[in-house]
Amino acid sequence: MDTSIIADIFDTWTDDALGWISDNGEWLFEAIRSVLEGTYDGILWLLQLAPFYVIAILGALLGWRLINLLSGLLIGAALVFCALMGLWAETMSTLGLVATATILALVVGIPIGIVAGFVRRFDSALEPVLDLIQTLPPYIYLLPAIALLGYGPATALIATVIVAMPPAIRLTSLGIRMTPHEFIELGQASGLTPWQMFSKIRLPFAIPSIMAGINQSLMMAFGMVVIAGIVGSGGLGETIYGAVRTLDIATSINAAIAIVILTMVLDRLTQSAARSANGGRR
Amino acid sequence: MKTAMNDSNEVLVDCQNVWKIFGARAPAAVKAVSERGLSKKQVLKDFDCVVGVSDASLQVCRGEIFCIMGLSGSGKSTLIRLLNRLIEPSLGKITVKGREIAKLNAAELRDMRARYIGMVFQSVALLPYRTVLENAAFGLEVRGVARDERNKTARAALEKVGLADWTARYPSELSGGMQQRVGLARALAADPEIILMDEPFSALDPLIRRQLQDEFRQLTKSLGKSAVFITHDLEEAIRIGDRIAIMKDGVIVQVGTAEDIVTKPADDYVSDFVAGISRIHLVKAHSVMRPVAEFQSAHPHSDVNALLRTSPEADIGELIDLTMQSDRDAVAVVDNGTIVGIVTTRGLLRGVAGSPTREPVAA
Repeated sequence: MDTSIIADIFDTWTDDALGWISDNGEWLFEAIRSVLEGTYDGILWLLQLAPFYVIAILGALLGWRLINLLSGLLIGAALVFCALMGLWAETMSTLGLVATATILALVVGIPIGIVAGFVRRFDSALEPVLDLIQTLPPYIYLLPAIALLGYGPATALIATVIVAMPPAIRLTSLGIRMTPHEFIELGQASGLTPWQMFSKIRLPFAIPSIMAGINQSLMMAFGMVVIAGIVGSGGLGETIYGAVRTLDIATSINAAIAIVILTMVLDRLTQSAARSANGGRR
Repeated sequence: MKTAMNDSNEVLVDCQNVWKIFGARAPAAVKAVSERGLSKKQVLKDFDCVVGVSDASLQVCRGEIFCIMGLSGSGKSTLIRLLNRLIEPSLGKITVKGREIAKLNAAELRDMRARYIGMVFQSVALLPYRTVLENAAFGLEVRGVARDERNKTARAALEKVGLADWTARYPSELSGGMQQRVGLARALAADPEIILMDEPFSALDPLIRRQLQDEFRQLTKSLGKSAVFITHDLEEAIRIGDRIAIMKDGVIVQVGTAEDIVTKPADDYVSDFVAGISRIHLVKAHSVMRPVAEFQSAHPHSDVNALLRTSPEADIGELIDLTMQSDRDAVAVVDNGTIVGIVTTRGLLRGVAGSPTREPVAA
């Protein structure tokens, strides 16, 4: 069987490469893990500092300011409901994971997107990579990550960052490229320096698109963080995974409801934040 | 009034034989044009390149409003963008304030654009995420003027265009005419010497357009600015411009005052254009009068000294009024105390109709 020989060779290469990377890059992965877990622990510590009703009230106030009073009340009630189901600690862990992963994805993704918006070639080179990331089943990222970073939140985070990054890159790059021509001309005719052209014209015009990217990244992160329950991420994902293994339907449904609540609350809040960032735009 | 020449004839913008050729093989086409004097058609045929501007020369003096009139595709928008080097010329020399702009480096060019050349666009291009005041202050902000000072200047500029009460609004809250006023205020706030107007009023409705035309002319003159004004509307060019250049297919066909263009069109293209233009306030006595001797030989019994008198600059409207007041059907044109010519009723009719001003010998 010729084909199976080729497949065997390829598999051997992959395993060898992974083995080599984990042997020789240990210090690097150790560093990555401590950065990821350090950020996560910090954010989680913050979230656990306050009792659940304080967070619920904060959520309600944000909802009231950004959307309207009714949404604010609903958000508050929904968060209290999570606590009443006895899943508050898990909900906060999941929120911490999502927040950490999204922040890291944006810190890396937005600058990459800005460069891609300016350098056409870089953008076309990036395109297939992003396509690949977005079409591969998300589980794929867990295996090499677990081999290199071990069982725990760091693995869940790196896989989530990878999945959450593409929308931020794509929509940032799109926003930078889509500056209307007449405004570029205005900038040139007004004698703008390249930096002013970026900061005063291109970036402000890209903000709506970047905000949409942030929202999309957040949603991708939510999807991934649940799947990452398999690798010991902690939080609601792990609760669901445990419940599935023991066929504990009631707990799995409770955790699923908590995830839906958290996702919707963050989605609505970021969308409204994006809208108000657009200010007086048409 | 519009034909009055400027006191100083200092040339602010000087274009000498400027070409702009677009296309993949533009450099080769430029070479062929400069070496062999190829025509536009040949350039298109031999090099597959489009000639945007062909051998254009023009001078804009300090304090002058210079209109460039042409239909779409005539190259007028390209020509105005050559003046501040938004488009690089293929051939020829453009001097602004005595400096050849093709030779400026990036920083010098930015400085030239920021300080001396303002621009107003047909699309207005107001930044939607900034208030009216912040938009008007944009040029000063770019130059690093402190916030208080630039806001003060911008507020004064908005006052000049009648928008003092709208400073805190966003552009989307304003009507098209008001937006274009903000565009003008933005250009004025930076206090440039030259304002480039790229079809600024074309998208506005006729009433607002006329109002803005008059305001623009009055403002530009009172502030002592020079302007290059692009339009596809000859009536607009006549209302606004001290001098008018007519463009067709990238070529400047004729440059002159409104009266020159209406009374002495350079070719059929221009005469087609001016055919529908009312001459009442454009054609002056000196271009419809006939020599005194000729008048006397045709009317030997007429005493020219008994005719009503007027100046060579009186327009046809005034001449008609004078003729109506008198029982004679002729008016004497007097310059420096001597009668230089006679305007007859026939001459007036010819002036209005726009046919040749010479009267037939057998009257």
